[in-house]
Amino acid sequence: MSEAVAHDPDFLAEEVRRYHHFITLALWLAAITGAEIVLIFVPVPMPVILTLLSLMSAIKFFAVILWFMHLIYDHKLLFWIFMCGMVLAFATYAALLALFSVDRIDTKWFS
Amino acid sequence: MSHDSHHAPVADKMELAPERSDLGLIRPDRTRGLFDWLTTVDHKKLGIMYGAFAMFFFLVGGVEALAIRTQLARPDNAFVTARMYNQLFTMHGTTMIFLGVMPLSAAFFNFLVPLQIGARDVAFPRLNAFSLWTFVAGALVLNGSWFFEFAHLAGWFDNFAWHKALVYTDFAPANGWFSYAPLSGTFGQANDALQAPRFTGVGTDFWIIGIQILGVASLAASFNFICTIVNMRAKGMTMMRLPVFTWMTLVTSILIILAFPAITVALIELMFDRQFGANFFNPSAGGQPVLWQHLFWIFGHPEVYILVLPAMGIVSEILPTFTGKSLFGYPIIVFSGAVIGFLGFAVWSHHMFTTGLGPVPTAAFSLLTMAIAVPTGVKIFNWLGTIWGGRIRFTPPMVLALGFIWMFMCGGFSGVMHSAAPADAQQQDSYFVIAHFHYVLLGGVLLGLMAGLYFWFPKIFGRMPNAGVAYLASGMVILGFNLAFGPMHYLGLAGQPRRTHTYHAGNGWETWNYVATIGAFILGFGVFLAFANLVYTAFKGNKCSNDPWNGRTLEWSLPSPVPEYNFARSPIIAARDVFFEHKHGAYKLAYENDGGEAGVHMPSQSWFPLLAGFGFLIIGFGMPLMSMGVPHAGWVVISGVGVMFLGIWLWALEGPGGYMLKTPADPLGAAAPANAATSAH
Amino acid sequence: MSQAADATHAHAPTSTGIDHKKLIMWLFLASDCMFFGTLISTHLLYRKLYPTGFTDAEGHQQFVKNLFNIELTSFSTFILLMSSFLMALAVSAMHKGQVKSFRRNVLGVIFFGLIFLGCQVYEFTHFYHQGLTIQNSVLGSTFYVLTGTHGTHVAIGVLWLILLYFYSFTGKLTGHMAGLDVEIAGLYWHFVDIVWIVIFTAVYLVEYLGPSGFWGTGLPLAK
Repeated sequence: MSEAVAHDPDFLAEEVRRYHHFITLALWLAAITGAEIVLIFVPVPMPVILTLLSLMSAIKFFAVILWFMHLIYDHKLLFWIFMCGMVLAFATYAALLALFSVDRIDTKWFS
Repeated sequence: MSHDSHHAPVADKMELAPERSDLGLIRPDRTRGLFDWLTTVDHKKLGIMYGAFAMFFFLVGGVEALAIRTQLARPDNAFVTARMYNQLFTMHGTTMIFLGVMPLSAAFFNFLVPLQIGARDVAFPRLNAFSLWTFVAGALVLNGSWFFEFAHLAGWFDNFAWHKALVYTDFAPANGWFSYAPLSGTFGQANDALQAPRFTGVGTDFWIIGIQILGVASLAASFNFICTIVNMRAKGMTMMRLPVFTWMTLVTSILIILAFPAITVALIELMFDRQFGANFFNPSAGGQPVLWQHLFWIFGHPEVYILVLPAMGIVSEILPTFTGKSLFGYPIIVFSGAVIGFLGFAVWSHHMFTTGLGPVPTAAFSLLTMAIAVPTGVKIFNWLGTIWGGRIRFTPPMVLALGFIWMFMCGGFSGVMHSAAPADAQQQDSYFVIAHFHYVLLGGVLLGLMAGLYFWFPKIFGRMPNAGVAYLASGMVILGFNLAFGPMHYLGLAGQPRRTHTYHAGNGWETWNYVATIGAFILGFGVFLAFANLVYTAFKGNKCSNDPWNGRTLEWSLPSPVPEYNFARSPIIAARDVFFEHKHGAYKLAYENDGGEAGVHMPSQSWFPLLAGFGFLIIGFGMPLMSMGVPHAGWVVISGVGVMFLGIWLWALEGPGGYMLKTPADPLGAAAPANAATSAH
Repeated sequence: MSQAADATHAHAPTSTGIDHKKLIMWLFLASDCMFFGTLISTHLLYRKLYPTGFTDAEGHQQFVKNLFNIELTSFSTFILLMSSFLMALAVSAMHKGQVKSFRRNVLGVIFFGLIFLGCQVYEFTHFYHQGLTIQNSVLGSTFYVLTGTHGTHVAIGVLWLILLYFYSFTGKLTGHMAGLDVEIAGLYWHFVDIVWIVIFTAVYLVEYLGPSGFWGTGLPLAK
């Protein structure tokens, strides 16, 4: 691509559309963060809060990577590259935390 | 846009007018000799330097090994002290892995990958140079510790206050290449100077910062290679037409970028424990030393696949060449390589079966470890399928590649024995483990890398190593290595523990230890002979043709040695093993309309990757100086960080530059198929 | 711009159509996921092992939520989110060739980034005076190293953006490559933001769940 692109009308129109998406997204992100902070003080059972918190964090996370970081507009390979890193990190460290959860190592696994 | 690159094409870079970068400094494009090598961004020259350093450090690690074996040849020996022995086996392991095998693999990645994919260089040439110089910095830091140790032993530091204040005076790393906490860490409470009591001296700090720097080098190179392989393939070079060596480079690089962060963090945590009184692994404060083992092996297990996959890639190139058949089951071999890489992240705790993980985790890791044997076995069957029915030419590379298959299999068998956790409980920390990993590393990786050296040397230097010497050296290596490590299976099961500087008579270990020492010396002479042969060949060997082996992949279509621009005109690929097809089959190599008088774009050389690497060298010595209590050593580290940032900043600002180099119009002129028929022996 | 001029620049067509710099930045971010994953999991597993938190300067066992200041941390989280928004605007501006708008937005990002760093420094000093140090507990070690590493990433990002800001005055920040360079800086900045999203939830918010915080579930309340 060359500098000519910067003046290409279709490209500009697309950028303007994205600009409005960013503003909407920023407002939603702020709202969700506010909701998270309120939620932790609401007296509902812990599993419910945890699920909701995880969900809200995941929504914010994916919103940023898909729109602010352009992944939804870009080549799919970039999305999968990032997913590899993220999924591997998540899986490895979930396993590590599980390993540290074994409190009794002297019993048979079925008893 | 800057117009640095838009001047007239030249036939040789020395014809360029001196040119200033965006910083106003003259670009070092017109240098020769030492300055040319220091500022080069040419992947081929960088590969040669990686290879030279690797071979040197292989010999250093070999000397350390021979010292170990001399000490162990007899019971109750006093050739070295216990402390020196610990330093020797630590440095032997660390040197061989990080300064021997990894850079030698990097040498092949650097030299071959752009040639095999039909590109003119890697995606980020200056980043490539940065990787090399950062590696050199790390190597100097790690081995610099020996100089401190010998200076200490010679008494040079005796009159210094900081030396008198040291509790422990071991200057070279001595905790094993895996440096387990709590031995490498701290205990108790940190004092006002943020120093907590510790069990080891400055050697551990040299190890921490040395490995950290080497990690940066490996990471930078891997990002570069993934980008290159994914993004710079010639027209028609689809992923499934890539040579297997390039595929293995890709998988290895992905393993590096995902595994090294774990050791980076583990090293940061250990460094914080030692330098700033943190409690990550400090048992007195509740730190969990076993966490170090987990984090280390989350890195360490993928690391061993990082070591072996390139050698497997090399063997996958050599076998088809010398049997005249295409690789049997190419897609499966590629897929198995990827599966091995992926599963490699799931098995780390098999190094920790005796730490009390619990029955469920132990069973899980045991099963997954056994599972990893499957894709490995698949590869071996495919290699056998390649050889079956072929017309085998027993050239030195082929002999070594065949040796790889056999020896690596033996190592795999002992590995599968380890995967059964109850059996491992006996084998852990015994010589059986040493036997296992030396079979896979020496019998596997070293033989594979040596095969690669003999195979590609004619391409790199245009000279053929003497076959007779090659056979002799290979024979000595294979014989010596089996003599050294074969008996260790028995010794391990008979109870000889690892990492002990001597043993008493009467356990029945004496004979085989003596035999192992003899084997080690034969192995050492064999490796030395092989390397000496190669070095001699580089300067004075017999010249050979461009395609002495009747090769299959793109690099054999180029002149030997390869010109700076690689391809006179960019190739267009129509099939796998495209050069072989071009010579003997249906598909012809076509070429794009680039190059010729209009020239091709060459990246400019630069001083700044070297400068940034030099910054790491300063950091690498500064941190241990801090641990030694040398006054103002913190400023050394800070200035090192400054130099490193300065190098990167200037690198960013100088602009990519570049110049146009004319290339010959006829791309295959110097490598016409007629040359391919000449065989090596 | 002519084809020939483009071809001579290091901006040749790529096999995937993705720019080299973009591809390598995403590879780096994938790697950085493993990096932060290690730090976060170290913190979380020590939280599990020692749920009561830490011993404060007076020697009392404290729950971590008594140490934290959720108002301050929420404020700094909002700041970082808004800086991410401004970064997206800066990238958009540069793609459109609007250098002045780019400069305004990037200055905003830098400003908000510095506020975030200021909040972190304030928070660390506050915790230190309340009795949490790197040396006196495992919690101190894991917390300060994790959030400190994140803060270092933010600081490097701020430095990068400051350099980009000044570079934009040299007249060399034009064309497609400029949009790309700013986008790369933007990717790094957004990543630092999403890591904070994870840290905010996993390190701060969970300490407030239930009367004793998530890790202290079932334990008696602080003495």
